[in-house]
Amino acid sequence: MLRAENLRAGYGGGDAVRGISIEVAEGSCVALVGANGAGKSTLAKALCGLVTPRGGKVFFCDKEITGLPASDVARRGLCLCPEGRRVFGPLSVEENLLLGAYPRLSSFGPFRRAASGDLQRIYAMFPRLGERRMQQAGSLSGGEQQMLAIGRVLMARPRLVVLDEPSMGLAPVVVKEVFEAIRSLHASGMTILLSEQFAKIALALSDHAYIIERGSVVLEGASKGLAKNPAVVAAYLG
Amino acid sequence: MDAKYLALAQMAVGGGLMGMAYALVAYGFQLTHAAGKAVNFGQGELVMLGAFAGISLSGIGLPYWLSVSGAMVVGALLGWFVERIAVRLALQQRNEGWILLTIIVGLFCVSLVENIWGREDRPFPTPWPAGALDFFGISVTWPELAIAAGALSIMTLVELAKRYTMVGIAVQAVSADPDAAELCGIRSRSAISLSWAVSGAAAAFAGTVIGPVTTVGPTMAAALTLKAFSVAVVAGLDSGFGLVIAGVALGAAENLSGYLLGSGWREAPGLILLILALALRPQGIFGKKIIRKV
Ligand SMILES: Nc1ncnc2c1ncn2[C@@H]1O[C@H](COP(=O)(O)OP(=O)(O)OP(=O)(O)O)[C@@H](O)[C@H]1O
Ligand SMILES: [Mg+2]
Repeated sequence: MLRAENLRAGYGGGDAVRGISIEVAEGSCVALVGANGAGKSTLAKALCGLVTPRGGKVFFCDKEITGLPASDVARRGLCLCPEGRRVFGPLSVEENLLLGAYPRLSSFGPFRRAASGDLQRIYAMFPRLGERRMQQAGSLSGGEQQMLAIGRVLMARPRLVVLDEPSMGLAPVVVKEVFEAIRSLHASGMTILLSEQFAKIALALSDHAYIIERGSVVLEGASKGLAKNPAVVAAYLG
Repeated sequence: MDAKYLALAQMAVGGGLMGMAYALVAYGFQLTHAAGKAVNFGQGELVMLGAFAGISLSGIGLPYWLSVSGAMVVGALLGWFVERIAVRLALQQRNEGWILLTIIVGLFCVSLVENIWGREDRPFPTPWPAGALDFFGISVTWPELAIAAGALSIMTLVELAKRYTMVGIAVQAVSADPDAAELCGIRSRSAISLSWAVSGAAAAFAGTVIGPVTTVGPTMAAALTLKAFSVAVVAGLDSGFGLVIAGVALGAAENLSGYLLGSGWREAPGLILLILALALRPQGIFGKKIIRKV
């Protein structure tokens, strides 16, 4: 469904992503595992059009999307839930969620009614968001903001979601909660690309994984196998 | 009431109503700055062009409201155009050249106006009754009231649109985080263009309501940009209705200092406000955006 070929991307001087090829099959959950600064977020941004690739190609649903603006990529159903949550702080929880569905909603019409089914679905998934519908997103706790960010990306009815470090900066209890949500999302058939430092959870959750070091894929394979690989255990699971 | 105080109050009210126009032009600065971190330093020239467009449309026989709407369309197109040709390019190259570019476009507009319409001041025809209204001895003319009512309606309408339409909410999202907005499928550049168009329309509208009070000429733009800009900076460049208070205060102070100290002092409050504006933002008017920590 999503395929990157020899992708290169970076900021200013050197490349942060140095020729990465990955593939995500429909319905699967694929993990990108790597330490701080390995280039996972840059890869995610290059796939979704937030960073223009310096080389290589990206295909989504058999069409090339290399270099398309992020808004066009999102409209095709490849949606990124960015690192650091990036909720719209001054806007309410519900407005944040509505914005997730922006391309589908009419600009001036009764957009709340049009989106009410999707809103109910998200509030059922994260009841705490429903309780805080009218609260400013910026005043939510970190965990609630992460749920909002996931809810917002799901409002787009994506065909593939890229989740970039959903555990970042969260307390262990909350991390568990967030990963439960991702697990049930996967179980419901959503195609997921998950970038994560917590190798243990990422490998437990995913079907397939890529280990990334300094901008390159150093290992790849079925997640179960990688979790037993001595090199991976020593470097990431120790 | 004492006749002297009454005269002062009359001055303050007249100036304050004019100050609503400063607030409206300042509001245009807020719109574009919130969306794209840039403003049009030719905003005063847009006000003037709006006034001339309104006069010309009235001249060919259009009714008042159509002339005003037409002027606003002209203003919107010009605002959009300035962003498109000048500002976008400079901001993409991450330099401050856009400041100069918007000033140059403004200067070009002035000479354009002089060539098309000449240098004479002209009256702006309105359908308002000729007389003045009397509030406790203070007289207020209809065109003055139109400035205040018009400015407030435009600002209220735009604010309502920002809150209650999906496009408006999207523009707010782009102000808050353009990249995250893109990820939602919102075209950030279009949202910024829209803000510039609305800002231009607001400026042109200001021209059509100021015109009947001051008469319309190529020089009316001169001080307006800087005054309105000071108002916007003092009130907050990104949001806030403080600009109505700041605008009214400036308008009133100008009239009062002109009356009390002599007409040469009319511009003093504007200067003081500008200095105040600079003092309030020691990091520079367009200080680096504080990087939000995740
Ligand atoms: N906006 C930026 N400007 C310049 N350099 C950047 C920027 N973002 C990331 N980098 C650099 O690119 C490299 C890869 O960063 P990236 O964020 O992709 O890593 P990561 O694997 O996501 O790390 P983390 O687990 O800490 O999120 C790093 O060396 C980083 O310093
Ligand atoms: Mg990262």
